[in-house]
Amino acid sequence: MHWLINRLGRAILTIVGTVSLSFVMIRLIPGGPLDYLRGQIRNQNPGMSSDAIDALVEAQAAINPDQSIVEQYVSYMSSVFQGDLGTSTWYGDPVNQILIEALPWTLFVMALSLLFTFAIGIGLGAVMAYKEGSRFDYTFSSVSIFFNSIPYYVLGVLFLFVLSYQMDLFPTGGRSSDAVPVGFSVAFLLDALYHAALPVLSFVLTRFGFQALAMRGNSINVLGENYLRAAKIRGLPGRRIAFQYVGRNAVLPLYTTLMISIGTMFGGAVILEEIFAYPGIGYYMFQAIDARDYPLMMGAFIIITTAIVAAILFADLTYGLIDPRASGGETRETY
Amino acid sequence: MSPGKDVVLDVEGARVQFEMDRGVARVLDDVDLSVSREEIFGIVGESGSGKSMLAASMLDAVEDPGVLSGSITYYPSPDEPVDILELSAEELRQLRWEEIAMVFQGALDSFNPTLRIGQHFQETLSAHNVDRQSGMERARELLSDLYLEPEQVLASHPHELSGGMRQRALIALALLLEPEVLVMDEPTGALDLLMQRSILSLIKKLQRKYNLTIVFISHDLPLVANLADRIGVMYAFDLVEVGTAEDVVEGARHPYTRALLKAVPNLETPYAEMQPIAGRAPDPVSVPKGCSYAERCPLADDQCLDVHPPYDDLTDEHRVACYYPEEAPAAIPLPFEDQSVERPDDPPEAAGAAPGKEGSR
Repeated sequence: MHWLINRLGRAILTIVGTVSLSFVMIRLIPGGPLDYLRGQIRNQNPGMSSDAIDALVEAQAAINPDQSIVEQYVSYMSSVFQGDLGTSTWYGDPVNQILIEALPWTLFVMALSLLFTFAIGIGLGAVMAYKEGSRFDYTFSSVSIFFNSIPYYVLGVLFLFVLSYQMDLFPTGGRSSDAVPVGFSVAFLLDALYHAALPVLSFVLTRFGFQALAMRGNSINVLGENYLRAAKIRGLPGRRIAFQYVGRNAVLPLYTTLMISIGTMFGGAVILEEIFAYPGIGYYMFQAIDARDYPLMMGAFIIITTAIVAAILFADLTYGLIDPRASGGETRETY
Repeated sequence: MSPGKDVVLDVEGARVQFEMDRGVARVLDDVDLSVSREEIFGIVGESGSGKSMLAASMLDAVEDPGVLSGSITYYPSPDEPVDILELSAEELRQLRWEEIAMVFQGALDSFNPTLRIGQHFQETLSAHNVDRQSGMERARELLSDLYLEPEQVLASHPHELSGGMRQRALIALALLLEPEVLVMDEPTGALDLLMQRSILSLIKKLQRKYNLTIVFISHDLPLVANLADRIGVMYAFDLVEVGTAEDVVEGARHPYTRALLKAVPNLETPYAEMQPIAGRAPDPVSVPKGCSYAERCPLADDQCLDVHPPYDDLTDEHRVACYYPEEAPAAIPLPFEDQSVERPDDPPEAAGAAPGKEGSR
């Protein structure tokens, strides 16, 4: 129990720390976003007085000029902890509302991506290990390395250009068609999948190779273990050996990778959702940066940070359930 | 071996070959061996002499790409020979563990780290269609025999047990299906000296209680001498000397056995008397045509180099693959012949020999 509180405390501290750091960086760094904003306004309005420029900057950055930086920080953090992320200066809507509406879509794309990445990676890796040294192994090792070397955004742009614009097979943007009413219907689900297909494909194709090669390596290690030889001689059925012995032991190290992937995928979502004009968290974050919409930017940033920390915390708390060796409690680490 | 004995496992011309880039490696070279019912047969040899291959051969469990040939016959009863190498995959699956079980080298990682010890017992029972209730009862009895707390051990994961506990749990697992023969490949390799001794006494106890035949493989000649009824000494992929423990340790006739006895570290042997065997063991790809030990042997002559020596049966029990078994004792004297075997029924011939013997059994 003590250990659980310890882990939770560390997670919250991490979130507070990153949020504080980004708050401070935005406000204080010379040549930071505020100075940039000031410069832009000055360029556009050469005759404006510096007081007027400051007032504009403060309005756009949603800063209360009567407060010192410390007061601003305290008031921002306290409203964040009350769940109020402020109002978007660009959209004019509460940041909460924008992000809550966008979050399920990002989660939808990410969940599908993770599911396929790991299903393909683990399946392929296991077969490659069983056929180590064969033509199949060689071919798919090369294929895995090849796809793994392509950046997901390059593949995304390529897909968008060829499959959407040239061949007109997939939509060029959006989350669902206007013609299909939002709701829990098969038609809506299919439409959502149709729109999510290319972002998901870009992620899966550029990431499955890494998991496949990791799974292959882990499996080959397990195949050489004494307990596997012992299991064979004890006459256990092949299925039990494949799943309980090879599969389970080889998948264990991938579990942490899976959780950390959630973090990197959130990061990747910023660029990918912009490429596919897919309004999720990442899309709004990109828009917010573009429009210098600080409240929205910070809000999206907080969501992403929280998601990453929560995923790692979840991995940490649950790893003991799948690997008995890690259920020692207080002293263990899952990295 | 003496004819007429109740043989349980008969190995004839067992050969294991590996195809390699630089030629065919023969890691077991026409080994003949008979194991009698309810005896403890010790196989001793240095690393790479083919001990583990011989052990694996007895269950036809040589791993790919190794190819086993020759014949391995198992006698569940004296007039019912079973040719192990001719069995179908399913028959072999049943024979293993039900008739001939094995404790592996590296016993510490012979359990799946993600399963509880009890699950290993249960899955073994169901793989061999044994009633779970009575099977688990036997498991508990075996664990108790090995001085383990059955419920506690069965509920533990492997990493929660100490090395000695895991080793004993593995022995219990090997005896779960009431095998006739237990093959133990370096079962004490990863254990400290005290634990080795206690495992040995447990093995003896189990052998008596369950009327087991045990094939015990080790590099440690004094250790095996304490345990085994008969000993086979392996050198370069074949047995060079076979006899009773007394024959082999006190009356060793093969120059290699004698050199091995001198080379084994022992607290009771003065350091100055310990001698490594000069030279190195032959490469499995090119075993010499004559005696494989000839290059390192002080007695070797042209005959030894040219023609592989046949077994010389010194007695019914004692045979040596050497042309000069009579000359060997004089050529390779042992420092304290009386000390190597610590059997209470073999009192030391010289007085004041070994301090601190009492903890050894």
